[in-house]
Amino acid sequence: MIMMEQEDKEDVSIKIGLEIHCQLTGLQSKLFCPCFCNYRELEPNKNICPICCGLPGTLPLLNKAAIESAIMVSLALGCRIPDNTMFYRKNYFYPDLPKSFQLTQYNAYGITSIGVEGRLEYGEKSARIRRIQLEEDPGRLLYESGGVNISRSYSLIDYNRAGISLVEIVTEPDFTDPKDVRIFLNKITSIIEHLGVCNTRLEGSVRCDANISIQSGKRVEIKNVGSFKEVEKALNYEIARQKAMSIHDIKVQAETRHWDDTRKVTKQSRAKEEEQDYRYFPEPDIPVIPLGKEYVSSINVKMPELPDERKNRFVTNYEVSDHIARVLIDNKELADFFESAVKIYSSPKEIANWIVTELLRFTHDDFLIEAKIDSSSLFAGLKIEAKHIAELAKLIDSNTINRSTAKMILTQIIKTGEMPSQLLARTDVLKIEDRNIISEAVESVFEAEESAIRDAKNNPNVANFLLGKVMKLTKGRADPRITLNVIKTKLSGLN
Amino acid sequence: MSKLYNLSAKEVNTGIRRREFTAEEYIFQILERIDKVNPKVNAIISIDTEGALEKARLVDRKVRENEKKIGPLAGIAIGIKDNICTRGLKTTCASKMLEGYIPPYDATVVRRLKDDDAIIIGKLNLDEFAMGSSTEFSRFGPTRNPWNIDYVAGGSSGGSAASVAASECPVSLGSDTGGSIRCPASFCSVVGLKPTYGHVSRFGLIPYANSLEQIGPIGKTVSDVAMIMNTIAGADDNDQTIQVTYRTPDYVFSSKGKMRIGLVRELTEGAEPEISKRIYSTMNLFTSLDCYCEEISMNYVEYALASYYTIAMAEASSNLARYDNIRYGFNFAPDGYEWNTYYAKVRSNFGDEAKRRIIVGTYVLSSAYYGKYYLKAQKIRTMLKQELGLLFKKYDILIAPTMPILPFKFGEKRDDPIKMFMIDIDTVIANLAGIPAISVPAGFINDLPIGLQIMASEFQEQKLFDAALLFESKTNINRSPEL
Amino acid sequence: MVSKETITYLCRLSKLEITEEELVKYELQIEEIIKYLDKLDSVTLSDIEPIPLERNFYQLREDNAKSFESDPLGCSKNRKDSFVKGPRIT
Repeated sequence: MIMMEQEDKEDVSIKIGLEIHCQLTGLQSKLFCPCFCNYRELEPNKNICPICCGLPGTLPLLNKAAIESAIMVSLALGCRIPDNTMFYRKNYFYPDLPKSFQLTQYNAYGITSIGVEGRLEYGEKSARIRRIQLEEDPGRLLYESGGVNISRSYSLIDYNRAGISLVEIVTEPDFTDPKDVRIFLNKITSIIEHLGVCNTRLEGSVRCDANISIQSGKRVEIKNVGSFKEVEKALNYEIARQKAMSIHDIKVQAETRHWDDTRKVTKQSRAKEEEQDYRYFPEPDIPVIPLGKEYVSSINVKMPELPDERKNRFVTNYEVSDHIARVLIDNKELADFFESAVKIYSSPKEIANWIVTELLRFTHDDFLIEAKIDSSSLFAGLKIEAKHIAELAKLIDSNTINRSTAKMILTQIIKTGEMPSQLLARTDVLKIEDRNIISEAVESVFEAEESAIRDAKNNPNVANFLLGKVMKLTKGRADPRITLNVIKTKLSGLN
Repeated sequence: MSKLYNLSAKEVNTGIRRREFTAEEYIFQILERIDKVNPKVNAIISIDTEGALEKARLVDRKVRENEKKIGPLAGIAIGIKDNICTRGLKTTCASKMLEGYIPPYDATVVRRLKDDDAIIIGKLNLDEFAMGSSTEFSRFGPTRNPWNIDYVAGGSSGGSAASVAASECPVSLGSDTGGSIRCPASFCSVVGLKPTYGHVSRFGLIPYANSLEQIGPIGKTVSDVAMIMNTIAGADDNDQTIQVTYRTPDYVFSSKGKMRIGLVRELTEGAEPEISKRIYSTMNLFTSLDCYCEEISMNYVEYALASYYTIAMAEASSNLARYDNIRYGFNFAPDGYEWNTYYAKVRSNFGDEAKRRIIVGTYVLSSAYYGKYYLKAQKIRTMLKQELGLLFKKYDILIAPTMPILPFKFGEKRDDPIKMFMIDIDTVIANLAGIPAISVPAGFINDLPIGLQIMASEFQEQKLFDAALLFESKTNINRSPEL
Repeated sequence: MVSKETITYLCRLSKLEITEEELVKYELQIEEIIKYLDKLDSVTLSDIEPIPLERNFYQLREDNAKSFESDPLGCSKNRKDSFVKGPRIT
């Protein structure tokens, strides 16, 4: 494991660019045929038709909603939408590519991809978007061998995924730090979730390739990064690898490397064939589609609320702080959870606080990994719903419980799913055994019962009397033994 | 009744409706005729005896039971070029690469024919993947010209034209990318129409060059061709390049006079002298029929062939890339082969012509040459479209020979690609500009057929039919060779 | 000049295996064809643009999903379970 020093990370001669692919899982059908968009969990080749498995004589039938979704993504990333959009053939051979060409978009002969020249702010920084394009996913390949006998080996092809709509987002190499990449990708995730075009929690729905060059050296492309979360790790590894190479005076090659998820390293790709000539030309079976201001603004008007807009609304309408609002909108599920809770009980600042400072702790990666939970949902494995937090806030606001009690309750209800009020009814669970908390209560009682304290020297029953007072104050939850002990210690200390 | 195979499509339909004979009787005679003449002509690759008889019986039942919904094509036997998908029937494109292919779907045009109760009798021979002008590039052997079996039938829809000429079926479907319907129609003395680009659905047409081709009808008479066109043309959700919104064009039959006609000098002068003379003489005929006729000139004709072949081969190289023998093809299991090797090996089973076009197509599309060839060729199309646009403001139709030469003997041009390409000079213009064009029989020279080509503006097939009907009615040219 | 090397490269790019005889035969023919296509050089059309087909967005396909009624790959013999068998990947 190569260690990195803090200074290395901030080296400004690092340039990172991203190519993000996200499936338009929000659609019903594929990009060029009416097959279902959701192919997961299906037996191989059960979600295909003559068009997507490339039978001769079939024609691509462009999906109207895919254009709309792609335009929404482009608008959300500040892109310019060209007057016309069209598709090109990218010609190459591979067993997972049924037509032996991929239908995609291309700007070398004129700007016609669905969006160009955008910019996305993330935190204090921003990155430029070079272009956004619509294209189709290929099928999937599995490798199988005929055992030891290589003359019997073959691959297995499943076309279920072939033809699924993809939006590819290509950035300029504006990133200088893998940490920034992570923040940026979180923002992208939040945006596409808010738009409803992609459910990023579905397996394989988002992929990200990165390219990186250090100190104006050759560009290395990193492919096969399985999830957004892995991108930062892959980049950090690659930076360390390249730095180590330069220490030993080894030149970095321009190449494509694969990210090995298990071993957490980048590996050289199989020896690449000569530079591929994709022989791009416009797809004759798909006409040019004029876009134009009217059409684009009609889409703009029906766009769902974007994360930044939502953040501003939280600040304005709910009076939560900008910082807290940012955390909430970082993940759509979280923001939705917040608003649902506020709908039930209108105490936005309290609720926001609880979500951000307490609840989020339980969704942290480490906790989930420990509990062996598959993080497909932010709250996976937690039996928490908006109504729980809403009630908790209500109990706090009405002074029924204090914050430390609330913290304890929370720990319990995420495991059981009980409502806080139900839990309160079972007071033995809420027994206060924390000496510090008990001492606080004892202090309050001591202040209130000055005369009794003075009698304590002479009267051994004072301790019990004070115990009674503490029990009353803590509504019977303080542990009597510990409380008595604290009282006695305190009394003796006063003498 | 005998010799029912000599009836026109219209006559068959009328005869069956009037119960002068049954569809089954008719189909039996057709099958007999095919048995007799196909060995000589080799127009038909596969015959669907069972399917045809079954459909014939269905039609007969409809007639017997006086059903209201008897299709306008009821009982008519029709052959389908073997690059058009027919569900459950082998569709090979005359290539080994599709040897075992049985499509799971019907082409839109096939479905429409079936819905209108036509009877599909079989699949017709063609140059491999529709690439050729003589049907000599088929792995099922060449199709012979029914007028003289030592001569080619033309191509690539050789089977479609020859089967009609040989009375194996009164009408057929072909496809035309650079002249593939009109060329064999001219060589076989029958009528062949290439519709406007975007008029007939290409769903189910196995593509050679997508931006140039259309499916079209062939028959012995103009009205038969128009009748089929009524069924197959029109809007289709399965093809986003269709340019019309109506479902059926509804052609009417009338021989109108008073047309303004331009004869394209460059194409007519460029033909063999006898042909040239014959086509020039049609001007007199039209003038005598109250039409206005004059010679016109086109500037961009000289670039048309280069433009056509650039685009056609480029698109073909991409369209043929999917033939990797994995989902469809011939028996050759992939087990044990590394994928690059397997692909290259199976694809060596294309014929020479197909391979050459793939190689040249790949060349012209390579990024270094894209501007020089493909893009330039597309610009030539713009020039031609503009030129024709101006001409069609002054003239209703343009005429020219269909072919610059007479049908030739087998082997004469087979091994010389450029020689073969040259014969497309008269026909490619209509494909490049996307306009409709029809070939009608114009007589014989040395007992070999020649055709008159008539072109009109986009979607003006009605004008083509008007002019063609007029010409046909006044010329009475033989469409049925002795076989 | 379209050399043997060029043709060999083009065959690699388009995955076509051709024999030595074919290479010799095609070299001349392809050279002639390309020479003919070079006719396009004799006209400059720098201000001209291709006229593409157009289709409005409302004429595109509605996003409705449906299954194909049978197995589109039914006639293929290269199957293993419901996968399609392909050649091996190195």
